[in-house]
Amino acid sequence: MLMTRTHLLRFSFFCRMGVLAHLERLEAQVTESRTKSAERQRARAEGRALGARIQKLRRLRDELRAEVQWRRASVKASTASVQPDQTAGMSEQDVLERRWEHAKAMLQAYRFTGLSGRLTSHGVCVRISTAFEEHLLESYFVDLVIQKPLRILRHSVPVFIPLEKMAAQHLQSDIRHFLFSLCEHLNAYAGRKFQADRLQGDFAAFLTGPLRRNALCSLLSFTYRVDSGAQSVTFSARLLYEDLTVTLPTRVTVACEGTEALSCSWEHQRASHETLFSTKPLHQVFASFARKGEKLDMSLIS
Amino acid sequence: MDAQRAELCALEAEVAVLRRACDELPVPWSETSRIQKLFQEIHPSDSAGGESSEDLRSRVGRLESELAFLNTVTGISIRNYSKQTEDLTSTEVTEKNIKKVVQKYRLSGNCHMVTFQLEFQILEIQDNESLSSVITDLNIIMEPTEYPELSEFICRAEERRDLFLFFRSLHFFVEWYEYRERTFKHFKEKYPDTVQLPEGACSRCMSICSASRPGFELVIVWRIQIDEEGKVSPKLDLLTQVPQRALKLDKSRVVETAPLSFRSLLRVLGIEAALESLIRLLRAENH
Repeated sequence: MLMTRTHLLRFSFFCRMGVLAHLERLEAQVTESRTKSAERQRARAEGRALGARIQKLRRLRDELRAEVQWRRASVKASTASVQPDQTAGMSEQDVLERRWEHAKAMLQAYRFTGLSGRLTSHGVCVRISTAFEEHLLESYFVDLVIQKPLRILRHSVPVFIPLEKMAAQHLQSDIRHFLFSLCEHLNAYAGRKFQADRLQGDFAAFLTGPLRRNALCSLLSFTYRVDSGAQSVTFSARLLYEDLTVTLPTRVTVACEGTEALSCSWEHQRASHETLFSTKPLHQVFASFARKGEKLDMSLIS
Repeated sequence: MDAQRAELCALEAEVAVLRRACDELPVPWSETSRIQKLFQEIHPSDSAGGESSEDLRSRVGRLESELAFLNTVTGISIRNYSKQTEDLTSTEVTEKNIKKVVQKYRLSGNCHMVTFQLEFQILEIQDNESLSSVITDLNIIMEPTEYPELSEFICRAEERRDLFLFFRSLHFFVEWYEYRERTFKHFKEKYPDTVQLPEGACSRCMSICSASRPGFELVIVWRIQIDEEGKVSPKLDLLTQVPQRALKLDKSRVVETAPLSFRSLLRVLGIEAALESLIRLLRAENH
């Protein structure tokens, strides 16, 4: 079919229109995709910024929460010791006397916690009481000067207790931790000393030689005799207390004195003595030896 | 984006509220500066007059400051205290110059969140050489269900009549208890979706779940132990919950050896870093 010129023109016009339109569409697409890509990039950047801001706010929120909690707890702690007001209708003098009596009583009560003290002109003198099981033993004091920095003016702590080391580590940052650590060390020392003293005092009959000990009572060495019927064997014991905050030894060796080899039953006793010294207080082990006379108290080995 | 914006709004609002709350609460003193403040209150630099001219008011003030100091330093607050003395000295004993006295005490108070009530008796024997004091009876009354980790220790302390050990170990127990609470709370707030505290605020265990892998769960059990000698220490264990299918695929037995590996991790990194790394591990699986 021959195309007329008009037809051709119209055809080419429409073609051009089509091409143009196509080109326009393509251009629009490119622009759109560029815009979209730019938008996406902006969105991503915005998202990252948002994300970073959220992280920052979360951290701030966490810190504020912790701060509020700490402040609330401190307020609670400091008001906890305030007594309720039961003094309606009393004269001021009476009220004061009541408070005086109450405060005196409470201060006495603190002695039983192991830590007590009194204020001095320069600070506070802390008193640390020691005990071993039910026996109340000696007290020690540490006289603190309340200044920046805190320092120890005087003390009655024995020289072999690492007081300076503990003070260097904890005194400035956490006075409570310092005092309780010192408490642990002193009580453990007092307990070890008590056991050694009791062995020397009450059970000297069992010892065949002097009790050798260091000042810290962290190393004890002694020889003792155990009778069984006609036989009697001398043992030598060495107790090492490597942990200075406890009253039981960490390493015990019991050996037989003399050259002859131990019979089976004596070997059994030797081994059980090692266990006993490791798990029960020293003087209680010897008390059990005394109670059962010649027989070993098997019930102690649990 | 919307979710993020929503979170942002919520966070900003929360921060504003917290800031206001913070402003309303007083700044607590650090222990050292609180002690210094207490000390200044009773010994102002311009105090006039000596010991003899002190009236009742200032003496009371001083005693109460001593109490406040002890409260701060020991962490123990005593509410009630009573003492009854019974003289057991008989005439026969008096001749030998031996004096025997029994003192009965009642003490109650709290060490932070732990409330206690004590009844004990002390026998004092005074002879020519020395004075000996022995605790002849000790009763520690505490709510058994409140702190089950303490109950065995309390029985032992009562048996041994070791009053001071009770207070010492109680102090260290409270320290560890509060540390555990703080640590778990910290992780719960930092990773709210991944970390759960099954027993609530004072939970003894923390579970870590993976949102993308339901069925996988790590549970950390943190116990506070008090040994025979009264020493307090933490004991952490890892329990794993893994679907059967995954277990079958686990050729190198990673899951089986996880509890042991966790112990090593604890030794190397310490508690907080070990927990953090476990949580991150499970969360990394999500992405």
